[in-house]
Amino acid sequence: MESPLTYLLYFLLIITGLIVVFYPNGGIYWRLKNSFKNDSKTLIEDILKKLYHAEDGGNSLSTNDIISSTNIRPKIIIEIIAQMKANELINFNNGNIKLTENGMDYALKIIRVHRLWEKYLSEKTGFDKKDWHDIAEKMEHKLDSQQTKELANDLGNPRFDPHGDPIPTEFGEIESIQGEPLPVFKEGTIGRIVHIEDEPDIIYKQILAEDLHIGSHVHIVENNEKRIVFHSEGEEYILAPIVANNITILQLLKEEISEENTFRLSNLKENEQAKIIGISNECRGEIRRRLLDLGFVLNTKIELDLISPMNNPRSYLVRDTAIAIRNEQAKYILIEKIKNDANSN
Amino acid sequence: MMQTVTKSACESCEHSNASGLKKLGINIDNSDFVVALAGNPNTGKSTVFNALTGLRQHTGNWPGKTVTRAEGGYSFGDKKYKLVDLPGTYSLLSTSQDEEVARNFILFGKPDVTVIVVDASRLERNLNLVLQILEITDKAVLCLNLMDEAKRMEIEIDDRTLARDLGIPVIPTSARSKEGIQQLISTIHQVATGEIICKPHRIKNVPKQINNAIEKLCTEIEKEYPNIPNSRWIALRLLDGDERIIEAVKTGEFITE
Amino acid sequence: MKNNKILNISNDLRWQIGDGFHDKLTEGIYSDAAQIAQNSVFKKGQTKRFRFDRSLDKIVTSKIWGFPIMILILSVVLWLTIIGANYPSGLLSELLLDTIQPWLKETSLSIGFPIWLAGFLFDGVYLALAWVIAVMLPPMAIFFPLFTLLEDFGYLPRAAFNLDNLFKKAGAHGKQALTMSMGFGCNAAGVVATRIIDSPRERLIAIITNNFSLCNGRWPTQILIASIFIGALAPQSLSGALSTLSVISIALLGVFFTFVVSYFLSKTVLKGEVSSFTLELPPYRPPIFWKTIYTSLIDRTLIVLWRACVFAAPAGAVIWLISNVTFGDTTIAHWLIENLNGFGFILGLNGVILVAYIVAIPANEIVIPTILMLTVMSVSISGVGEGNGVMFELDSVSATGEILKAGGWTLLTAVNLMVFSLLHNPCSTTIYTIYKETKSIKWTVIASVLPLIMGFVVCFVVAQVWRILL
Repeated sequence: MESPLTYLLYFLLIITGLIVVFYPNGGIYWRLKNSFKNDSKTLIEDILKKLYHAEDGGNSLSTNDIISSTNIRPKIIIEIIAQMKANELINFNNGNIKLTENGMDYALKIIRVHRLWEKYLSEKTGFDKKDWHDIAEKMEHKLDSQQTKELANDLGNPRFDPHGDPIPTEFGEIESIQGEPLPVFKEGTIGRIVHIEDEPDIIYKQILAEDLHIGSHVHIVENNEKRIVFHSEGEEYILAPIVANNITILQLLKEEISEENTFRLSNLKENEQAKIIGISNECRGEIRRRLLDLGFVLNTKIELDLISPMNNPRSYLVRDTAIAIRNEQAKYILIEKIKNDANSN
Repeated sequence: MMQTVTKSACESCEHSNASGLKKLGINIDNSDFVVALAGNPNTGKSTVFNALTGLRQHTGNWPGKTVTRAEGGYSFGDKKYKLVDLPGTYSLLSTSQDEEVARNFILFGKPDVTVIVVDASRLERNLNLVLQILEITDKAVLCLNLMDEAKRMEIEIDDRTLARDLGIPVIPTSARSKEGIQQLISTIHQVATGEIICKPHRIKNVPKQINNAIEKLCTEIEKEYPNIPNSRWIALRLLDGDERIIEAVKTGEFITE
Repeated sequence: MKNNKILNISNDLRWQIGDGFHDKLTEGIYSDAAQIAQNSVFKKGQTKRFRFDRSLDKIVTSKIWGFPIMILILSVVLWLTIIGANYPSGLLSELLLDTIQPWLKETSLSIGFPIWLAGFLFDGVYLALAWVIAVMLPPMAIFFPLFTLLEDFGYLPRAAFNLDNLFKKAGAHGKQALTMSMGFGCNAAGVVATRIIDSPRERLIAIITNNFSLCNGRWPTQILIASIFIGALAPQSLSGALSTLSVISIALLGVFFTFVVSYFLSKTVLKGEVSSFTLELPPYRPPIFWKTIYTSLIDRTLIVLWRACVFAAPAGAVIWLISNVTFGDTTIAHWLIENLNGFGFILGLNGVILVAYIVAIPANEIVIPTILMLTVMSVSISGVGEGNGVMFELDSVSATGEILKAGGWTLLTAVNLMVFSLLHNPCSTTIYTIYKETKSIKWTVIASVLPLIMGFVVCFVVAQVWRILL
């Protein structure tokens, strides 16, 4: 028999080994798995996407731009670009790379899969918003056209992905996003959030932390170089311009502007009465359906019923029934508060 | 047209859909009619089930208690009835397991009568499910349960107006004290044998754009399957992307005759 | 092919309508419902929730009283179960084990059964069955009706409402509090009860972690071992309190693991599963007392007992066989014990315990009788026990202690047995139930193996640290 200390050491050694190999994302196992993925098909597709986004924004990229935007060895990138040229996906124009028609079609196909997959993740799975992009980034290289078609049919041929980006059709047609970045608008503008950009990751996470929703109405009250302040759904938001730049706003027409009396259900206090005016577009899939089935529908009267000892969940009185939902869901339900004096009748 | 459908169902008596029911695991050898019991959770559905069958099924005061089906039987006159208790659900439009069990049974099992149990004190909320079921089946009875509770809360219900609006018989009951159960039993019998013919309410308040789509699809379905009674429901489900129904359309499953 | 036309049109229309179909349809149905209700419903009284309901709810979900009331109710239920089951259990075991079993065996021998057959049938199969019934039936017949009364009254959804925030932090559902409590009665019943959780991810979490609720079959083991080894550490007057405390700590350790494992599962393997939370708080309704008692006996107690019996009978046969069938000059049991002793020692257990847990997969109730029988057999204590393969228990706690100490048990063995009794694979009834509920081999395997690995790891670490320090 060995001494207990030796056993313990062996044990620690095994545990450390397992952690080193399997630690999520950083582990050896995952790195090996990922390194195999960097085959030429994936690289080509990634570069096509970069080119597409650049051209879509009116810019163009050179080989050096592409090299500096990835952490893959320059030699490989140069080889890949040569290969792309040979396959007539790209052309050179004064040192800048241009997509050919084939290249454009190919890029749109990849973008279609990416956005469809994000839509799928948002509707049919429980993955967190911040994980969608990374998962879709892997899936976009995997689906063939038949699978993509089936996926699109299953999802009801959606037109927009959960970030508000248009999904290219099977034939490569793509709608353009209307609206402008938030900082463009003057103080006093009332608009609707139509798009939230999910790249770069750092800024996207900041926007997620602010808990802004696509489809929400915003009212800009301050806009200068330092900060942008706006109201939305009864809350006040203060963003740095660089963050606000990734939020696209469509200015509302006069007749679309309603009174500023929109709140989130999570905001409802005891003894207040309210009427439901909708469920935010950010609430999707199974949970949205369930809320609707339970009677959280347009024009339904609602009251706060009970607050659990730890403040969350809370139960609401909807159509004569006490239904408890978590605050995380309540914030997706938009209400209009009814003035208390109307209460007496 | 409804008249003929009802008649043909009863001429071949008693089972219009023996094979569909068998597929769902219902043994119908010893019964003349199959009756499904549907309703929201917490409406005393299991109590109604027990009052009808005498079987002691557990009745929890819990939303969504019976996930699998419970079955029982009773006789009335010389007919034997098989009663199937479906999971309590708020709706048939979602994809949760219990809703699928209930929905599949009514749609594919084609019970001779569907009894919809509702909480009389919270009728409006319960009607959501009732209206959905009436899109699927013509032969239904509304069991207006928990009348005692409604009375205590000083809620009055005009069951004749309700019956007229819904187009199906409405029976007020208090299943805990077995009030109204006899009447429920005889009404089930009348609907099952075709003595009462229902003209169920169809959902009206649908936006025009959607209604047009529904009608377009409906016509298409009816063109392929002229005898289908619930083409509108199937159209609704297709437009909602219900995978089970899409599958059924592919295989032609819902047309068993 | 013609059907594809329908589908193509439908796909086309779906693209035209866009996202809001379900919303608009639901709104349409509800506004129809409102119209119809308006025609036929007349409300005279206040439409608010019934006064009594609301004031009761204000108390049971209040910041001050919510938790104390819950803990009080759970403790009363568990206390009534453990105390109340003692007497009927004793009676049953006297009847089934001490009276009927010897009679069966003698009668069968006197009418000419061969010894091996009588042994196999009555020392093996019958004894295991009788044991399970005697130990399992009374606590379940008390626990389940009590639980069902609370359920019928409508209290349980309020408990889920109160606790949801805690469970949410572990990625789980508030209703898991109830399936967990149900697990204190029986894990198989707890797993069935997870049906009340309508969100797929949270339901799987509740199923997999239910085993960490110390079930009725394990309480007696905990209490016995604690009073022999841990109670003895304190002076006479305090020994009862100390052993009770140690059993409660094990149960709380189970709750702790429930949260830890729930958190771990929701962050790893179950990450992408759909998750949602809604909970209706139904009106309170007075339960129909006798009917509730009756139906819960039929619905839960007897069904669970029946399943347990189905699994216990073959286990009894196996226990008898491995102790009586010999290869060369040792029995299978001996051979297994010898070979597992080394591994057992590293875990701070011993071969007997491991063999007992292998053959007693069907029911935790027979672990202690099997351990006693195997211990007596392997260290050949004469004058105690009923012979090879015949499980037994002693009336006197101290005599049981003597046997175990003769089998080489130390305080460490006892502590680790208590830990291992909490953290090991679920009994086969529960495993079978998990499979029936999930219909997935993958989740069944995870639910079965995960706690076992955890048990090995925890026992191992405790044993090594213990040996280094003491």
